[in-house]
Order: sequence, then structure tokens, then C-alpha cells
Amino acid sequence: MRRTPTTFRTLIAATILTAAVGASSTSFAQQTRDGLNPTGQNPTAESVNEEFLFKQDPKITGRISIPDGKAANLIQPAGRDYRDFREWWLPWLSALAVLGAIALLGLFYFFRGRILMERGPDTGRKILRFNGFERFAHWMTSSCFIILALSGLNYIFGKRLLMPLIGADAFGVVAQYAKFSHIYLAWPFMIGVALMLVLWLKDNIPNKIDIAWIKAFGGFVGDKHPSAGRFNAGQKMVFWMVIGFGSAMSVTGLMMIFPFALTDITGMQLMQVIHALIGIAFIAGILAHIYIGTLGMEGAYDAMGSGKVDLGWAKVHHDLWVEQEQAKNASGPQLGRHQVPAE
Amino acid sequence: MKAFIIALVVAVALGTLAAALLNQQQRFAYQAFSTSGARVSDPAGHSNLVGPHWNGVTPDPDKPSKS
Repeated sequence: MRRTPTTFRTLIAATILTAAVGASSTSFAQQTRDGLNPTGQNPTAESVNEEFLFKQDPKITGRISIPDGKAANLIQPAGRDYRDFREWWLPWLSALAVLGAIALLGLFYFFRGRILMERGPDTGRKILRFNGFERFAHWMTSSCFIILALSGLNYIFGKRLLMPLIGADAFGVVAQYAKFSHIYLAWPFMIGVALMLVLWLKDNIPNKIDIAWIKAFGGFVGDKHPSAGRFNAGQKMVFWMVIGFGSAMSVTGLMMIFPFALTDITGMQLMQVIHALIGIAFIAGILAHIYIGTLGMEGAYDAMGSGKVDLGWAKVHHDLWVEQEQAKNASGPQLGRHQVPAE
Repeated sequence: MKAFIIALVVAVALGTLAAALLNQQQRFAYQAFSTSGARVSDPAGHSNLVGPHWNGVTPDPDKPSKS
């Protein structure tokens, strides 16, 4: 019987002891959870942390002994945004731009049809629209553009669309040669853009006639053809698009051909984003140019094909230019070697 | 057609010229970013860490060198 009270006392003592240890450990845990140690000090309060470093600079760099300074880059959070753009936004935006342009042109063709040449008294007679050098500059730039566009699209869509079709090995070879063509044909393309700027700048200065042309929707709506000089407002837009986009693509492209020469990793990412976005807009715009110069308008291709266009067509679409040419030709000395008198 | 063919030929010629010039400027990373210090790898196969006459046998540190 004496053992029962003793056991009971022992049990109470053990319970009190356990509760006391538990209470003290809880208060200790609260202290350390706040980042404080039992002495009341925070040993990491003075240390440099990631948040502090990112307030100083958008990236964290270390110290290295090799001359490649960019290898010292440790953390660059902007790189994650860049990767998201390249892997998600860019393919979708590119598909939207390119397929959207093709769809719009298809709709335009479906509803408007091919713009046919209007037969008239001058139909069948020819007038020189672009001389040999102008056509050379156009074709050099355009043929390079097509290769650059296809190889550029391969950067975006190749691994997603082409590689599953032809396999990794074949895609590797194709992508390698596409990359070579992209880097090397960029140079004749840049020269071509510069040539076109010099050749056609004077005929592409915007003027009041362009406003009237735009107000009349360029004759695409209705049967009336607004007046135009050598280039109408639509062609001037294409010209300035080629010069503007071509220049931007050249600058950003050169920055990538010579990586890190003038900018750091953030600049390189920015250059690629600009290059890619302008590139897809450029492709969409040129698709419209190709359409109207070939399928969309009867007689338009001859301007860059043989260089000579139908005089009747020229009088309808570029009446002011025809008048100017006829005035020049009438005086004799300005007649070009291969130029056919329009009258 | 003549202008088109000439344009293609000139484009390829300029591209080839660009390739030749760019490749002249191009250096391998181990050349562009190497220091004057010792290198542990031998990407070019022309030299190695212990000199051109190394016979591939690791010298025993306990034995005195012949040279």
C-alpha cells in the first residue's frame, strides 16, 4: 500500500519536470526563430546578403583570375526574364506575326482578288522603271533577306518544328549551316540596305501627295487610282521600313556577331530581344511587300523582273512619275542607255 | 534575270569574303581567355604543361631530375 503514494509522487514530479523543460524549450525556440541567439545577439545582422547586393547592382559578380571578365557573373535575375521571353513569348509572338500576316494577305486576296491591269491605249508599250543596278541592289538585299529570315526563324522554331521531323543529327547540321548563312549573308544584306538608301532616298521623301494617296486607301478600295510619283505612299512605307528595320537589325546583329565587345550580359540579352522582335515584324512586313509585288498586282513584278513596266500600268499607278520621265526623255540628253522612250 | 543572277553571285562572294575575314579574327576561347600561367589542358595539341619534350612519364618526386 505504501508504494502507491510513492509512485503517485514520482509521477507528479516527472510531469512537472517535463512541463518545465517543454516551456523553456518553447521560449528558446521563439528566440532562435526570430534570428536571435540565446545571448540576444544576431550573428548574421552585419553580413552581406543577396537582397543587399541586388540593391547595388542588377547582378552579383564574383572574382576570377582568368581574363574572361564576364565569367565572373554569378547571379543575374534578368536572365530568367530573358529566358522566359526567348522560350515562351518569342515563339508565340513570332507565330502570331508571321501566320497572322499570311492569313491577312489570304483574306485580302480572297475578298479583293488580284488587282488586274487596266487595258488602255498605252497597254503593251514599255517604260524603264528600275535600271540594272537598282535591280541588282534589290535582288541582292532580298535574296539575302530570305535566307536570313529562314535561318532566323530556325533559331526560334527549329528545335520545336524541324527537329522532330528530321531528327537531332540532321537538324544539328541544318542549324549549323543556317547559322553560318545568317552570320555571313548579313554582310551583303547590310551593304544592300545601304545601297538602296543611296539609290532611292530622293524618291522616298514623304510629301503632300502621299497624304492624298493614303486618304484614297491607295486605290485598293474602289476603282479610283490616286496620283503618285515614282513611289507611292505604300512603297515609301516599305522603303522606310526596310531602312529602319534593316539598320536596327544591322546594329543589333553586329553586337551579336561581336559579343560583349560594347555591352555586358544585360545588353546582349536586350540586343537579342530587339533583334528578334524587329526581325519578326520585318518578315511580316516583307510578306506583304512580296504579295503585292507578285500575286497581288498584275504588272507589278515586271518592275523588278525585267525593269520595264507597261506604260498603261505606270500611268495608272505612278502618273506623276510617268509625266516626269516623259518630260526628261523629250529633252533628249537625259535618256538612259537602256531607257525606252515612253512616248 | 541578269541582275538577279549577278546579285546572287555577288551576295555569295561577299558572304564568303565576310566568312574569311571573320574567321581570321576569330580565336578559340582557350586562346582568347588564357593567362600567361600554366594550363592543365592541351586543346591544340602543340604544347603541354611540362614542356615540348615531355615523354608522358610522371617523374618520381624522390628521384633527382636528370636535367
